[in-house]
Amino acid sequence: MAKNRPYKILSRIIEIKPGEKNISLLLFFYFFLIMAPYYIIKPVRDAQYLIVKGSKELPIAYLLTALTMVFFVAFYSKLQIKVQRHVLIISSLIFFISTCFLSGLFFRKGLPWMPLVFWIWANIFIVVLVTQFWILVNDIFNPREAKRLIGFFGSGGILGGVFGGLLTGFLGFNFPDYLLFIAAGMLIISVFIVNYIFIWQRKRISTEDRAKKKDDGNKERAPKVGFKDCFDTVRRNYYLKLLAAVVTITFVVSTLIDWQYKSVIDIEIHANDKTTFFGYFHAAMLVIPFFVQLLMTSSLIKRFGIRFALLVYPLILLICSLGIAAYPILIFAVIIKGSDKSLSFSLNQSVRELLYIPISSEFKYKAKIFIDMFLNRFAKGIGALILLIFIFLNLNWQARVQVVSAIIVVFILAWAFLNLKVSKEYTNIVKQKLEMKWERADRLVAEKVDLNYTKLVFDTLESKNRSSVLYTMHLFDLIKQDKLTSEVKKLISYKSDEVRVSSLGALFEGGETSLGPETDDYISEEVLEKEVKEIISLDVYQKVMENYFEKVLVDESKEAETAKMEAAKAIGMMESHSPLAQKLEEFLRDESPEVSRYAIESAAKLRKREHVPALIQKLHSPFTREDASAALEKYGSRVTGTLADYLGDSEEDIELRKGAASVLARIGTQEAADFLAWVLTEDKGDIDIELIDALDRIRSERPDVQFQEGIVTTKIAELIKKHFQILIDFYDSKLMEKKQKMSENLPKNLTVSFMNIFKLLGLIYPHKDINKAYQNIRTGTKESMAYAVELLDNTLQKEIKDVIFPLVEELPIEERVKRFRGLLKRLPIL
Amino acid sequence: MIKANEEGKISKTSENMVKKMEINAREKSNVIIFDIEGEIRRSNLTDVTLHQLVKDQLDDGKRNILLNFRNVEFIDSFGVGEILASYISTHNIGGKLKIAKISKKLFVIFQVTMLTKVLEIFDDEDVALNSYFID
Repeated sequence: MAKNRPYKILSRIIEIKPGEKNISLLLFFYFFLIMAPYYIIKPVRDAQYLIVKGSKELPIAYLLTALTMVFFVAFYSKLQIKVQRHVLIISSLIFFISTCFLSGLFFRKGLPWMPLVFWIWANIFIVVLVTQFWILVNDIFNPREAKRLIGFFGSGGILGGVFGGLLTGFLGFNFPDYLLFIAAGMLIISVFIVNYIFIWQRKRISTEDRAKKKDDGNKERAPKVGFKDCFDTVRRNYYLKLLAAVVTITFVVSTLIDWQYKSVIDIEIHANDKTTFFGYFHAAMLVIPFFVQLLMTSSLIKRFGIRFALLVYPLILLICSLGIAAYPILIFAVIIKGSDKSLSFSLNQSVRELLYIPISSEFKYKAKIFIDMFLNRFAKGIGALILLIFIFLNLNWQARVQVVSAIIVVFILAWAFLNLKVSKEYTNIVKQKLEMKWERADRLVAEKVDLNYTKLVFDTLESKNRSSVLYTMHLFDLIKQDKLTSEVKKLISYKSDEVRVSSLGALFEGGETSLGPETDDYISEEVLEKEVKEIISLDVYQKVMENYFEKVLVDESKEAETAKMEAAKAIGMMESHSPLAQKLEEFLRDESPEVSRYAIESAAKLRKREHVPALIQKLHSPFTREDASAALEKYGSRVTGTLADYLGDSEEDIELRKGAASVLARIGTQEAADFLAWVLTEDKGDIDIELIDALDRIRSERPDVQFQEGIVTTKIAELIKKHFQILIDFYDSKLMEKKQKMSENLPKNLTVSFMNIFKLLGLIYPHKDINKAYQNIRTGTKESMAYAVELLDNTLQKEIKDVIFPLVEELPIEERVKRFRGLLKRLPIL
Repeated sequence: MIKANEEGKISKTSENMVKKMEINAREKSNVIIFDIEGEIRRSNLTDVTLHQLVKDQLDDGKRNILLNFRNVEFIDSFGVGEILASYISTHNIGGKLKIAKISKKLFVIFQVTMLTKVLEIFDDEDVALNSYFID
């Protein structure tokens, strides 16, 4: 119990899941042990430089740092070709431990070049170690995990900064060498932590994952390429270009702010107090972001999304810049620097790292080398060049601070604009990570199969042994549709039903074969069509055949069935106003599915209003449903109102109503969709599955059809409430027998309601995106499920997200039920 | 296990027309196999249609369906409708419906009518079963 206490306390603050505790703590301390030394090194760097060189020479330090970074990144990118990642990280730490120790010794000697060299070294230190830390985080977590935990890791770094800053403030200016020895000591501990992290990572990889990781390992080595490749990777990728632009502007602005702040400090703080001031300032300015990072960063990102989180930092700096422009005094210098510092290491750092996560490993490493190691320092160089201009301008320091503020405002506006673009592109990248696992098959079948033609071929073959009249009628249909190709002729001429042919070739290699009764006269297809039409339209034909039809209709014998089928089909060849066509109603009512099927087909050709009720009744039976649906679909929007009447009548036969929903989906007009949506809101829920499926079909085939958001949202809320209740009832059920019974239907019920909720979401959000998310949540890997949830996070409105996320996030049943109960109590949408 | 009656049959047979149709269901390698015998015709009706049998399996959470046509002599347009409706219902929820051991004659008809563009057809049952896990 006692062993779990720290975890319980931790899990109250952060959403940490079982299995994540150790790695989270290791990463927390790893970042702590990088940032604590840095916040010792940084005040020493700043104070020593300002004392020896002064604030006027700051741009030179920025510029030289930028230039040095060009060579360093080129060297580093080559180095990582040769060295494995864990060796590289540990070697880097050992390098910085030894050079930090040496710097302490050199400071004792008071060498004049030391402040500038130390300045550049400190910049390389922070860039290398922080980049390596975040690459490791990127390797370990997917976006959902990172969103939950990034606040915690980040707070480790900030806490390290507070600790380092306070220590420096306490020991102060008199002991820069000792401070650096302490920093080196902390880095030594971090070597052991990093080693533990890699041991943990190796253990985590299961046997199944090893092959994948081996592949990833190859990928890990593959991107270890030169500086030019890193640059080209960013240059050729729109998203990475946007990220690079954002980072550049961020660091240009940060450099300008740093100069403003240090200019004020240089004037207002005495030289001997500078190290102490910087130490306490850095520590104090990290206390607030520590709490922001630990308690707010993750929840802010989760609650308001990446887009909002990306805008917070630049907008706060915009306000601060206007403040320091108006009042260039110590308090505003502290506020603007404090805001920049605290937000850049908390919210901004976390969001920026999240933006890298969906990028492929290959691109990510190349991009991080270029952007995080080179570009951010290069951006400081750009900032330095802008500042150098002011050295040659004859302005007092206050005026310089104000002009710089104006420049900062311009940069921030561009930055906010680019952030909006980045967040949009981030969602696109997440979409690309998800594959569409299946499409609606009705559309696929409609696109690839000519169903009328297919049925006609089968009917022709079927009728061959049953009735020469039917057979000839089918041939006539094939001729009319220009579908009597040589392949079809050979196919339907094939005589043996019993013997299986040895090959397709054998079937088609036979000579010309006769299709019907032998005749000496050649009849062209066009002539045949014309003559048949003429004959059946003759008054005398209609009169003579009327007697025949009446005789057939009253004959109840089994043998009369074929004659009825022939008659029913013949009506389809006639004009709709012809006298014999009036007989179709009686054939439609025939009990034989074979007869009524031909009657349905003829009704579809004549499309007379009076046949609609009979056709709708045919939706009841599974043996006539498909033919009746196809016939009613041919009537199109003329029958949507009638179908809606049947659909909305809860007293009507349920199978018939389901059939009506399906026909409306096939008709697929705006009016059909409106009727379906209307019944969905009014109905008791007996045919919800069919109604929602019909709406989904329309949405997938007709993107132009609109759905009323209010109706859909209400139904989603209703289904979610039901879904919650099903699980709560099951969970609360005390009786084993009852629980056992409920568990039989539980997976089915939950699956169906889950599917319906997503189909409804697809009506009001991008259908393809919602489908992708649904399919990957249902059948994807852990990774693709995480990206699917991330896509929903960036697509759905907050109110919908609040109720959908407890359904889609991976949670233990107890936690899920707890959340469901909470939502049922407090959310008005439910 | 899927539900079946004592004889392992899950549908009735019809003897009043050309050749009786009989559908037996079994499960193998997480695939529901429907062994169909006789002719799938409108005139050869049973109480339960093939599509309904497939839907029952889908409702039970099964996703992989194989129609074994080894003993199917002929199908009419109703039979085609049943196969396509079963295919659509299965694929719309992310499942797979395939056909095995179809006669050469039916295969030719399926080719001419382009049904082979959507339906996956295999000569051998084991090859068909393996295909569910290769895709």
